[in-house]
Amino acid sequence: MPQAAIFVTCLVDLFKPQTGYAAAEVMERHGWEVEVPISQTCCGQFAYNAGHFAEAIKLAQHFIEVFESANASTIVGLSASCTAMVAHEYPELFQREGANMGLASEEVAQWVQRATVMAERLMEFGEWVHGQEALALPAVKPEKVAVHHGCHMRRVLKAMQPTDEALRAYGAELVEYPDETQCCGFGGTYSMIEPTISTQLADAKREALSQAQAAGATSLISGDWGCLLHLSGRMEYEGDRWPVLHVAEWINQREKMSAQKKGE
Amino acid sequence: MERLPHDPRPWPARRDEALHDPVLQATLRRVTHRLNTARIQAYQNYPAGAEARERAKHRKREAVREWEPLLAQAEQQITAHGGQVFRAATPGDVGAYIKKVAQEHGVQRIIKSKSMATEEVQLNAQLEATGFAVRETDLGEYIIQLAHEKPSHILAPAAHKNRQQIQALFRETVADAHDVVSDDIPGLTQFARQKLRQDFLSADMGITGGNFLVAETGTVVVITNEGNADMVTTLPRILISLVGLEKIVQDWDALIDIIQQPALSGVGQRLSSYTTMISGPRGPESWEGPDEWHVVLLDNGRQAIHDGPYQDVLACIRCGACLNVCPVFQQVGGHGYGSVYSGPIGTVISPLIGGMQTFGELPRYLCTVCYACQEACPMDIPLPEQIIGLRSQAVAEDREPAAVRTQYRLWGQAWSTVHGYRRSVQAARIAQRLALRHVGLAAGWLKTRKMPPVAARTFLEGWAHEQRRRRRA
Repeated sequence: MPQAAIFVTCLVDLFKPQTGYAAAEVMERHGWEVEVPISQTCCGQFAYNAGHFAEAIKLAQHFIEVFESANASTIVGLSASCTAMVAHEYPELFQREGANMGLASEEVAQWVQRATVMAERLMEFGEWVHGQEALALPAVKPEKVAVHHGCHMRRVLKAMQPTDEALRAYGAELVEYPDETQCCGFGGTYSMIEPTISTQLADAKREALSQAQAAGATSLISGDWGCLLHLSGRMEYEGDRWPVLHVAEWINQREKMSAQKKGE
Repeated sequence: MERLPHDPRPWPARRDEALHDPVLQATLRRVTHRLNTARIQAYQNYPAGAEARERAKHRKREAVREWEPLLAQAEQQITAHGGQVFRAATPGDVGAYIKKVAQEHGVQRIIKSKSMATEEVQLNAQLEATGFAVRETDLGEYIIQLAHEKPSHILAPAAHKNRQQIQALFRETVADAHDVVSDDIPGLTQFARQKLRQDFLSADMGITGGNFLVAETGTVVVITNEGNADMVTTLPRILISLVGLEKIVQDWDALIDIIQQPALSGVGQRLSSYTTMISGPRGPESWEGPDEWHVVLLDNGRQAIHDGPYQDVLACIRCGACLNVCPVFQQVGGHGYGSVYSGPIGTVISPLIGGMQTFGELPRYLCTVCYACQEACPMDIPLPEQIIGLRSQAVAEDREPAAVRTQYRLWGQAWSTVHGYRRSVQAARIAQRLALRHVGLAAGWLKTRKMPPVAARTFLEGWAHEQRRRRRA
C-alpha cells in the first residue's frame, strides 16, 4: 500500500478541518495509507514573506524535523503556496540567511541538504490527485466551476495544469473569467498590514468572478485556503453567497456522488 | 541635496488620492492592460525576440558584474572620439558639472529627450534654479513638465492623464493654445509638435539620457518612439548625455540582443521606432552634430548596489513591464509610490538609492508578493525576493512598529514547537469567546472581511482524537 503524509497547513488545521478530512478520505479511497504527523504547525511562509527570517527559519527547522520522522516518504501539501514555501524557499532561506541567524557554516550546509531532500518528497494535492486514476463515473453530471489558482501555484510551482486536468477528469467544466492571472490581494500578512489595497484587489477579483457566476459556475475552487479565506471573507462581508471549496473537498464530493450512483 | 526626490505625503494619503481619482483609475487600467497585452503578443509572434532575451539576460548580468573594465574601455573610446567624460557621484555633482559647461558656452535654452536618470537627479529643477530654460521634448514628459508633476510610469510618464485633461492643460499653460481646438490624439500631438519644433531650433544645449553605453566603441544609444532624441542630439551646439553606470554593455553583439528587449517588453514592438546613436561630437569631416559632447556617468548609489546583495537589479532596462503587471501599481499608479521610480522595480531601487528611512514603506505596503513582476521581467530580476529582502532589512534595522515586531517574535516562538502551537490555539479560542478578535494584525483583516472562528476541534486535534479512539477499539 502506498503511503503519504499530509502537510495540513495551519489555515486548514485551524479554520477548515473539513479540507483535511476530505483530502484524507480521497487518498484512502485511492488505496493510500494516510499519515498525519501530529506535531506539524506552520511552514513559516507568513513570517518569510514579511521579512521575519529568524522566525521563518525556526518554523522551517520545526517542519523539517517533524516530517523527517514521518514513515511515509511522499508528503502531500494542502496548499500550493505553503508547498512552494517548503519546496522552493527553504533551501534558499537556509543558504542565504542561515549564517545571519547564528548557524555555523557546516550547520547551514546540513540544513540546506535536509531542506533539499524535503523538497523532493513534497507534492501539492492537485499534483498528487492528477497522478491517480479518476474515480468518477460518467453518469455524474458535469458541473461548471470557477477556479482560482494562487500566485505561488501559478508562478512558483507552475503546476496549474495537473489540478485543472484532475478537476476535468472529475467532470468539472472550468468557466473562464477576466484577469484570471491576477493576484487576489491576500499576500499573507499583507492582507492585514495593508487592508485597503488588499481589499481593493479582492473586490476586483469578485467582480471578475461574478462573470463566471453569471456564466453558470456553481462554486469557486482553489488549492489555497489563503486566497480563499480572504476572498470568501470579503464575499461574506459584502453578502455574496457562493460556495467556496478546496480542490480536495470538491473531488471528495464528486467521488461520493459517483459511489452513490454506483450503489443505485 | 537628496539622492532621490520623494513625495513627503505619507503612503495612505497618496494611496487614497489615487483610489479616489476616477480618471486615473480608468486611464491606468487601460494603459497597463494595453501595454501588457502588446508585450505578450510580441514575444509570441516573434520567437527570435524571446531567444535574444535569453542571451541578453546573460550578457547584461555579465556586463554589470564586471562593469569597471568595461566602463574604463567606454571612457577611453569616448575620449578618443573627442567626447569628454565626467563621473558624477551625486545628483549635486551632475547639476554642478552641467551648469558649468552651460555657463562656459553661454547657453540659455536647453532641450531634453526622455531620461529617468535626469528625473532621479532632478536636473530640470537644478538647471532652472540657475536661470536656464529647460524644455522636455518627449510628449509625455512635455505634458508633465507643463503640469509640474513627476512621471507616473517609467515608460509613459503621463499615463495618469486622459486627453481632455491634456487639452485643458495645453490651453492653460501654453501660449497661443487657442489653437488646440480638438481633444483628439492626432490634434494634440500635432499641437505639441509645432510648439516643440520652435524649442528644438532655438536651443543651445541638448541633454539625453542613455539606454545603453557600448564599451567597444564608446557609443551612447538612446531609443525613442517619437524621434525627438534625433533632434536633441543633432541641433544644439552642446550635447550632454547622462548615463547610469549600469547602462554599460560589452559590444555590438550584446547590444543587438539587448536593444530589442525594452521595445518588446515595454510597448510590444520588435524595435523602438527610433534608435539614436552617439559616438562623438561633430568631427572635421562631418557637417552635423554638436561641437562638444559630454558624457556624465552617474553613480548616485549604484556602486553600492553593485557591491551588495541586490546587484541583479542593475540589469534593469527600464522597460516598465513589471509596472504593467503589478496589481498594486494598477490600483495606485506611479504617484502612489512617491518616487519617480514606481512599480516593482521602483519598490526595490527607490529604497536602495534613496534610503530605507524615506522609502522603506514601498516594500512594506506596495507588494503582495504575487511574482507577476518577475515573470514579466525580460531580465528575470528576482524582484519579489528582493522586496522580501528589503522587508527583512527593515526588520533587522528595527524600522517596524515594536508591537508588530513583538507579535511576529511571539508567533514564531510559539509555533516552532507543537506545545506552543496548541497553547496558541487555546488562547485564540479564549480570545474569541471574549470577543477580543479586533487586536493586533487581525484588526486589519476584520475591517473589511469576515474571519471564521478557530474550529471547535482543529484537524490535528480531531485526527489525534480519532487515532486514540482507534487504538482503544
